[in-house]
Amino acid sequence: MREQTSHHPLSERMAPLDPATWEALWQLFIQIGRFWGNVPEPEPYRTRFQTFITSRMELNPLYRELYIQARHVIEDLIAAHGVEPAYEVLFTDPLANLAPPATPLQFTRQYVSNELIALQLALGGFLAFGALNYPGYFGGGNVPGAPAPYRTMQEEP
Amino acid sequence: MTPSSADVLIIGSGVAAAAIAERLLRHDARASILIVEAGGKVKLKDFGLWQNYLVTGKLPYDPYKDFNYPDRDHPGENASTGGTQIPLAGARVMTYGGSTIHWGGWSFRLKPEDFRLYSQTGESIDWPISYSDLEPYYSAAEHYIGVSGDSSDPTVPRNRAYPFPAFPFTLEDQPIANAMKACGIPYSHLPIARHGMTQTESRHAPCQTTGTCKYCPFGARYAAGNFLDDMTEWGNFPNLHLRVNTIVEHILVDAKRTAIGIQVVTRGSDVREVLTGKTIIVAGGTIESSKLLLRSRSSGWQQGIGNDADLVGRNFITHPYFIFTGAIAENPLRLQTEMDFPTLCSRHFDSEAEQKAGKFILVNPPGVPSSLSLVQQMQNGVRRPKLDAAITGSNQIQLHGMLEVFSRFNNRVSNLDRRNHLGMYETQVDYTQDSTFDSRMAEIQGHVAAIFDKAGASLVGKPSVSWRADHAACTCRMSRDDAQGVVDPDLKIHGMDNLYVCSNAVFDSTGAVNPTLTLTALAIRLADHLIHGGAAPLAAGGPP
Repeated sequence: MREQTSHHPLSERMAPLDPATWEALWQLFIQIGRFWGNVPEPEPYRTRFQTFITSRMELNPLYRELYIQARHVIEDLIAAHGVEPAYEVLFTDPLANLAPPATPLQFTRQYVSNELIALQLALGGFLAFGALNYPGYFGGGNVPGAPAPYRTMQEEP
Repeated sequence: MTPSSADVLIIGSGVAAAAIAERLLRHDARASILIVEAGGKVKLKDFGLWQNYLVTGKLPYDPYKDFNYPDRDHPGENASTGGTQIPLAGARVMTYGGSTIHWGGWSFRLKPEDFRLYSQTGESIDWPISYSDLEPYYSAAEHYIGVSGDSSDPTVPRNRAYPFPAFPFTLEDQPIANAMKACGIPYSHLPIARHGMTQTESRHAPCQTTGTCKYCPFGARYAAGNFLDDMTEWGNFPNLHLRVNTIVEHILVDAKRTAIGIQVVTRGSDVREVLTGKTIIVAGGTIESSKLLLRSRSSGWQQGIGNDADLVGRNFITHPYFIFTGAIAENPLRLQTEMDFPTLCSRHFDSEAEQKAGKFILVNPPGVPSSLSLVQQMQNGVRRPKLDAAITGSNQIQLHGMLEVFSRFNNRVSNLDRRNHLGMYETQVDYTQDSTFDSRMAEIQGHVAAIFDKAGASLVGKPSVSWRADHAACTCRMSRDDAQGVVDPDLKIHGMDNLYVCSNAVFDSTGAVNPTLTLTALAIRLADHLIHGGAAPLAAGGPP
């Protein structure tokens, strides 16, 4: 049994992701915030987004192919529907969520889009829904005398 | 290259092993200790693995858990043969650091009356030590594993404050807290093994309330693997050694009273060798510790070491963990999952008055209302208006808890003559719950229904009850009488001079609370016993 590490042996000589794919993934991240109206200004998350994409490929080199394929899937959707409707299809088409994935669209939804949704919520997308903390968010410590990093109980007198 | 002998040989690398080693090394930095672990090492505090857990829910230590029991479609492993199935899958992790790699960190002390269970109720046996005997070690354990708790909580007596303050109650606690207050049920902060921020010295990072406690990116939740890493990588302990992927086949005895070593096999190979120790401590968890003694047969111990009275592996118990769900019509506070550990509990029913029928605790879990998962809904394509309506609309709340059950001689664990996917002997669990269990659960349901009623929630169906063996215990009980217990009050096996057991197996009962803090206290106490003249006295030095 191989000990799982964040650096897969096959990722050692992996070619870097091309700029067009990086941009397609970043646009996907932006469109998640636009569609759900929960991240109006995504730029502060760009570094963590880049770290995430890089570490996914280092953990499993197959992600490089998934990301390249996602770029083509999104380009095809945009060509067929226009920009905003294309992402709406990607985010909401129930067939794209059928598991196990078998089509390029299903792989893109389940391994790329859905993972970026999870990341976006954890980075701060959850704040739009009324909470102060969320699984995966670095809320901060329990510092005596300082406000708690999550919503706390107001005790009845 | 690790040595094949040591003054102290510890089987297992969980919290018991780590706490014993830490205490011995604090006394004498040159103490000779060899820790042997059957499983492999999982990388902790790794950002890439943490991100993978965040977006997929997959944990890097999952391969070290038991498989499910065999069924029609899957070969599975282990066997559950009694009237009540006791799941092993998910209950424990057989890896470097043991089950602390996945535990929740709930760090309760037993109550004084728990140590007198037989005297109070006629059930099981009394502990041969009292709460006051263990109290200083409870404090030492809380400081060792880094517990955040309310030092003014009168639930159990204490002589030393927690190292870190309690986490404030969450907003999610509010409906249950108000309802408990209306029912006259006191509640308190749940003591939790998460490092905090105070003047207390610690080499371990504080909790950042990141909400991914099953794989903490900072190591803020106590995990023995992090502490072992700290000792081996940063401590100046030249004679501390660890071996992973090393399965112990049996214990070797010279004369009947002396253990001389262990026969081990390297996982995935046929390479066998003998490791020797002057003092040997079996700290492989309740189930594996009992199984190891049972299969260590010799002319002096024909039924297994310490088993002349046929007690090893018997009296098995675990905590049935129950979940009650209540429906609420609306969620105006937009309660959502903000934390990954509970902050509110009630030990009101963990009392002498309830002891005869079985004590229980109540815990308000994080993550309620449970039916709302932002990430799942977004991944399922739910649009924003519907998502907002789901957050504020009808939903569910839950109350979790654990019930104390009592040992029965016929409930037991033993070895099967086949190996699991890690190369260890498979386990047979033979357990049948008491006939009174259902009626006791009905009584608990009455209390919970009253709380839900005050919270404006209506009980949904019957509770879910899990008998998973997370808190397996009592299979090598501690007693001064070798006809009642396997180990003596120093945790030394009756009839042996240098062989100890340090796991939940030595508990005489478990009360209604998680056993890990008590085990840690016992481990530190055992280390002190060894320092101050145990089986093979260690090098002289001042008290730690």
